[in-house]
Amino acid sequence: MADKNYYTVDPEGKLMCMKCRCKLQKGKAKFMYLDNGFPVELPVCPRCGFVYVPEELALGKVLSVEKALEDK
Amino acid sequence: MKIEERRSTHVYRQKRMFTKEELEERESLCVHEQPAYCNAACPLKLDVKALAAALAAGDFDKALALYEKITPFPHILSTGCEAPCESSCKLGQLGEGIAIRELERAALAYGAKPKGASLLRKKQQSAAIFGADLFSLFLAGELVKKRYPVSFYCSQKDGLSLVKDCAPWLSQEAAEATAGLLNELDIAFKWGCEPEAAYWEDREKYALIAAAWDTARTLYPGLETDEAVMVCREQRLITGSTRGVLDSAFGAKRAALSADRLAQHLDPGNTRGEEGSVATRLYTSLEGVKPSKRIPVKDMDSAMAEAARCIQCHCDECIKGCAYLRHYKKFPRILTREIYNNVSIIMGDHMMNKPINACALCGQCSVLCPNGYDMAEVCHIARQNMVSTGKMPLAPHEFALMDMLFSNGEAFLSRKQPGFKKCSYVFFPGCQAAAIAPATVRAAYLDLCRRLDGGVALMLGCCGAIGDWAGRYELYGETVDFLGKELGELGSPEIIAGCPSCKKQLLSQGRESVRGIWEILEELGLPETAELRQRPMALHDACGARGDAKTQESIRRIAAKLGCEIRDTPYSGDQSPCCGYGGLTQYTNREVAREMTESCLERSPLPYLSYCMACRDRFAREGRESLHLLELVYGAAADNCPDISAKRYNRLGLKQQLLKELWGEELKMEDLGFEVEYTPEAEERMDDRMILRSDVIQVLQHLRESGEAVLEEDSGLFVTRERLGNVTFWVKYSETEKGYLVHSAYSHRMTVVNRL
Repeated sequence: MADKNYYTVDPEGKLMCMKCRCKLQKGKAKFMYLDNGFPVELPVCPRCGFVYVPEELALGKVLSVEKALEDK
Repeated sequence: MKIEERRSTHVYRQKRMFTKEELEERESLCVHEQPAYCNAACPLKLDVKALAAALAAGDFDKALALYEKITPFPHILSTGCEAPCESSCKLGQLGEGIAIRELERAALAYGAKPKGASLLRKKQQSAAIFGADLFSLFLAGELVKKRYPVSFYCSQKDGLSLVKDCAPWLSQEAAEATAGLLNELDIAFKWGCEPEAAYWEDREKYALIAAAWDTARTLYPGLETDEAVMVCREQRLITGSTRGVLDSAFGAKRAALSADRLAQHLDPGNTRGEEGSVATRLYTSLEGVKPSKRIPVKDMDSAMAEAARCIQCHCDECIKGCAYLRHYKKFPRILTREIYNNVSIIMGDHMMNKPINACALCGQCSVLCPNGYDMAEVCHIARQNMVSTGKMPLAPHEFALMDMLFSNGEAFLSRKQPGFKKCSYVFFPGCQAAAIAPATVRAAYLDLCRRLDGGVALMLGCCGAIGDWAGRYELYGETVDFLGKELGELGSPEIIAGCPSCKKQLLSQGRESVRGIWEILEELGLPETAELRQRPMALHDACGARGDAKTQESIRRIAAKLGCEIRDTPYSGDQSPCCGYGGLTQYTNREVAREMTESCLERSPLPYLSYCMACRDRFAREGRESLHLLELVYGAAADNCPDISAKRYNRLGLKQQLLKELWGEELKMEDLGFEVEYTPEAEERMDDRMILRSDVIQVLQHLRESGEAVLEEDSGLFVTRERLGNVTFWVKYSETEKGYLVHSAYSHRMTVVNRL
């Protein structure tokens, strides 16, 4: 069965990890909040594992899910 | 002291806020839903307010529909009713009450009868009424309304003579109209019969039997009627006396309900609900209402004008003053019930979290409400309750709580006056004063040291109000203990509070002696630095000074000495609303906080004088000229709308300055080894997103240690991040010669991890 992903961000080769000097790739990550997990696909450094959260995502979907969970 | 997010949406704990009795006791204080005086006085429960509103709007059809709801024969009632509503009209206390019967007659004259049949199904059981009087006539109408097939036995020959015999005062026109109505009703009239004889002959044919008063007495001499239900139980005969028009109409209503019960083979006294006129506990202010006289109703226009005199009695004393209640459009009774339910639910969405956290906890409602309804207490108890069960999210309050920890940590200062082993006083200016007006605090402290005997210690910190407002009772308890220990080390001197909220909070902690700096200034007189202002100013009383007449009066005397022409605004003194800072509204709900500030400022176009630094700051942010009393006393201005970072730097800077100036101690600020600059957009975003410059600096420090950053090829900017406490902060930057230029910063509370 295919993995469920709540959200996908493809770096499209436009993000570079400055520590490892390599391009970030679409990778598996998980947001956790108040004991809830949300599998997502985000730009991840294939070497050091740095997960990049874009500003629009943090202020949009992430914030709205945070607020919804806080009122659970 | 630490703040940790320990919530889990999978842990289900619940604790009741109140017992059922306590909840009901609190709710009963709110009289908003109590019936209006006219409505309460009417045993038929005519909604006079709605009738008047419909007429005032020219909707005569609606008015007639409302009136026909209470009576099948509006011509009889509107001309014969004794009208207890009119003598109860609140307007009668000022001038002449509303001519309600005139309005009823106008509805009849100009309103069109509603079309459409009753939705009720025709009943199987049939009813018979023997003999004609006003009661039996009304009863026939009521039973038809309930869809019983009715047979009416009377000696009269036709409808018109029946109406005229029962209601002889009716005009020919009204009598004919009522007779016309009778013909339209589903009643089988047995004209010209002898009711008593017909009774003995036909009574077995009907499930329900009723009789006019005289007929019943003839049939059964010495008959006893249970007046509460209008039934002679032994004979199963429905009957009632005819003492007046209203009494007959109301009796018929009670009798019709009894018929329902009898038809269902129930006791007629069974589940009848509240019947008749009631005592109302409504409160309606007549402030601003001018006495007026009745307008004779001659036509539609005059009826509309008379109806428009109705003041639509209701109680909204709390809502008129409170922007929070106005925002949620809820009265305390309903709000309390919803908050109680919100706290009680174990699973699912807590829809009332926002309103619970948006109240300023200022207590204005408890002063405005004629019964002292205290919504602030309800919200405060709810917050504490949710904290205790782990249901209170940390996010809305965390910034403020961290600010309190900062005030009582890094920025905290407690020192005796130089040269004194023991001090008689300690000056406690409050965290907001130090954050917004460090120069004013410094001038005040130096003045107190200079002019007071016995030594004045200084304590820069937070009184704990923030923890208390957030409902974090454990953290608040720790703060109270911390302050107690620090005050103890100073020899427990008398506290001179710079802020009325601190004064109130410190007194509530059982501190023995707390006075406001204003009281001291009255004793000492104004310092030479005092700036005299010969100009009118609106005085905004601090919500922290509610119930503290001594403080309110003292402030007015000092303002007068400063030359201010103080203009009291509506809702001043004990009725003063909160500026939007109290209860942490500023942090939890900016929209409501702003409405609170605007509501304060709407009261006067003048510059505002206040004696709480938070009020001063919020008014200035709305663009109003705003001054704190101490700014005038010391000629030392507060900062103009400092942002969240500046408010922290101000506290640290003040501590550093005073330590050096008075105690000869150097407070070394950490040398970062790099410089950070911000674009104007970044500064604006950070203030809006509650991200401090110190947060950004910590992220950049982490960057320098870890080298972790991402280059965005599209923008050419670097992005780095670090988790600080419960929040991950992201910083978008470019590199400069000496360090970094920050272009943006954002944050999220979720953690993000790799997934294999």
